[in-house]
Formats: sequence, structure tokens, C-alpha cells
Amino acid sequence: MTISAFDPIAAWQKMIQDWEAEINAWSGRLTESEQFSAVLGQTSKMIVVAQKAMTEQLEGLLQSLNLPSKTQVEALADRLDSIEDSIAQLRIALDKLANDGTPTPVKTEPRRTRVPANKARKD
Amino acid sequence: MPENEDIARRIELEIDRALKRNIRGLDFLIADREPVGTMPKSAIYRSGTAVLYRYEPVLDEVYRKPLLIVSPPSNRGYIFDLAPGQSFVEYMLRRGYDIYNLDWNPPRRDEAELGLSDYVNRFLPESLAAIAGITGEKGISLAGYCMGGTLAVMHAALHPKAIRNLIAFATPLDFNFMKLFQSWADKRYFDVELLVSKLGIIPADVMLGAFDLSRPANRTAGRMTLWNNMWNDDFVKSYRMFDRWAAETLPLPGAYFRELITQLMWENALANGTMEIAGRRVDLSRITCPILNIVAQHDHIVSHEATRPLMEMTGSKQRHEIVSKGGHVSLVAGPAAVKRLWPLIDEWLGEKST
Repeated sequence: MTISAFDPIAAWQKMIQDWEAEINAWSGRLTESEQFSAVLGQTSKMIVVAQKAMTEQLEGLLQSLNLPSKTQVEALADRLDSIEDSIAQLRIALDKLANDGTPTPVKTEPRRTRVPANKARKD
Repeated sequence: MPENEDIARRIELEIDRALKRNIRGLDFLIADREPVGTMPKSAIYRSGTAVLYRYEPVLDEVYRKPLLIVSPPSNRGYIFDLAPGQSFVEYMLRRGYDIYNLDWNPPRRDEAELGLSDYVNRFLPESLAAIAGITGEKGISLAGYCMGGTLAVMHAALHPKAIRNLIAFATPLDFNFMKLFQSWADKRYFDVELLVSKLGIIPADVMLGAFDLSRPANRTAGRMTLWNNMWNDDFVKSYRMFDRWAAETLPLPGAYFRELITQLMWENALANGTMEIAGRRVDLSRITCPILNIVAQHDHIVSHEATRPLMEMTGSKQRHEIVSKGGHVSLVAGPAAVKRLWPLIDEWLGEKST
């Protein structure tokens, strides 16, 4: 099937690509300016400070409602991660003991004698 | 001018696609996450945020030298093993390599003090020791992607004897050419101490925001292109895997983030030759093993110039560079990687892995 006339789908796709390239180029020019860096730096600082203040406020509120705060949930997640870490380390250590010092060997350890096909042909 | 029959066929095709778009669009909205990282593997070393996986070899005979791939601490390692047919790991396993991946879990709050030296001088050497325990091999091929590559290069400079070959995928070394990040972390305005002291662990949103800033239209344009291609199962699957990978950006330890900004971004210490890890200077000229530098033609994060020190400052006599089609992410797992890049890597590495 050969269609050389106007293709609305292809035109739509091209329009998206052009729009994307234009916005990205504009953003590239904007981010190169010193004013942009200054605004970004200041904004980041304000967001961090505001987040910190809001977290503290919320924690007080959650405490009064007898609900766990984000910090407490994070602490719990950390403890779970830590337990998971310990279990993984134990499993690796047990595997080593069971396999003469080698952690989790594959069913049959492959021979380490492979040579590239072209080299093998020459030999 | 197209004939009436052609126009009718085209209309039929577009109606069919429109129907599929609507049906699959609904599927897309309610679908589970696309499965990724499907090649069988097992953890052989773990220390907090660091996990070393060994992929199960698929051949009875492999190359003598193992290949260790270091993931960037801000991203999951499954970008190297997205799906069958789109997996660098699968390809290299079938070409006879014994493959390991040093991957990262989100750091816990008690790991906020992990710095560059922990990554370069602890997790990497301990991984090499675990690999040597299995294979008996002291020298390995070391590869890294993005900041994983930077860590690999720093390690190779500090411990050159342990590295047989070095492969760097989109690896920034000259941070003066990381233009976007230079603006984002401008020394005059960016208060890294405040960020680290208030947050401890730097949330993934901070890094994601920086990436979005570089290409603000990408997300929207990506969604629009997805809708156009919703009838195409392969496209949708691939989109969802890359989207999942990007969304699963990892938080970073505050100390690592601080060093990244102050030493690499502000001082450009690696390219200036002033970088120190645990009191030892990271001298790139000490790297003498064969080097393969892989850069993406349209990388908006790590420019070609940012990778140049690997080709210009190292002491190796065998340096090879591949400029591949694609962007920062598709470099590793996009269509050009599958068709052209992976076979080139195999060709380069195979003869050096015996």
C-alpha cells in the first residue's frame, strides 16, 4: 500500500516531535542562565525548609491522634530492611559453609576455557 | 494521488488501530507493572545498600574472565536485563560470559554517611573478592553505567592490577561538561549542606526533578506517542519497562550526594587530577588495561565531552570508543543497542576475556 498524500497520523506524530524538541531547546537555553540557577537554588532551599517545618507540625498532630508518623514508619521500614539484609547475609554465609567456601554455586559450574569463535577457527 | 482502494484500506487500518488503542488503553491503565529482570540470578554478597548478583551461566563453557557490571547508585540494575530479547545480560550470557551485577537497594537512614570511598573502596573490592571466591579469578572485566561507570573508573585507577578490561557506558568524568547539572547545582546558589543536613537521605524526587528539568517535554510527548502506538504491543511493553525503570529512581546517601556535588560538580576533581579517596589520589593515568568507552549520540545527560578523560587521561595503550545511536537510556537497551552495540561489545571483549 503506497500513500503519498497527506497522512494525518504522521503529521500528528511530527507535530509532537517538533513540539518536544522546541520545548526542550527552550528549557536548555533557560537553564543556562545565572538567574535560573539563582531561582532554582532559592526554591530548593525554601522547599526543604517548608517540608521540614510541615513534617514537624504533622508529626505533632499524628502523635496527638495516636497515629504513627512518617518518621516512625520510615524507622520501621529501616528495621525491616536491616532484618532482610541480615537474613540475606546469613543465607550467603550458610551457602558458603555448605559448599566449601563458595557462595551459591550454580548447579554445575561451567568450564572457564571458552575462546572467541574466530580465534578458535584460526587455532 | 492514492487510489480509492488504498484510501479505504487506510481508513480500515486506522479504525482498527483506534479500537485497539481504546481497548488496550484501558488495559494499560489497570495493568500490573511490567515484569523486568527475568534472567535467573542469585545474591552472592550483600552489605546494606549494596547487593552483588550472579546471573546463572547458560553455557557449559564460559570465558575465563568474569564480567562485573556496576549500576549507578541512583538507578536499578535491571536496565541491563529488561526483558527476553531486550536484555544485555541475556545476550552476553548466551555469548559465553560469566556475569555479575553490583546493584543497589534504597539506602537506609543509618546509611546516610556512606560516601564515595564506601562505594569505591569497600563495596567494589568486597564484590571482587566474592567473585574471586567463586571463580578463582583475580583479574576481571569491569563495566559501569553512568555514575556506576564513574565509580568503576575510580576503582580501576586506585586498584589497576585487579582490572583486566574496563567498559564505560555513558560515564561522566569531566563534570564541567555536565551542563544541566552545573546549572542545577550552581555553587553560588545551591546549598548542598542544608539539603544533606535536613534530609540525611536525598529523596529520589530531587534527582528525578533534575532529569525532568533537562527535558521537560519528554514525559508529555512520551505519553502522546504512547497513545499513538497503543495498538503496537511491542511498543507499549517497551514503553512500560523504560517508564518503570525511570520511575524507580533511588534515593542517595547524603554524604555520597555531598561529595558528588562538591568534589565532582564544583571542583571537577576527577578531571583536574585532584580527586582523593580515603587519602589516595585518583590518578587516571594509572589505568593501563584495555578500555572501551561507549557514548550515546544524543545523550542529554552525559555529553561526549564529559566522557573524554577516559580516552585522553588514562595510561592505556588500547582505547576504543563507540558512539552509538540513541540517548542516555536507550544506549544500554534500545533498538540500536540490541542490533549493533551488543555484538560490538562482544567482539571487543571476547578476545580479551580468555
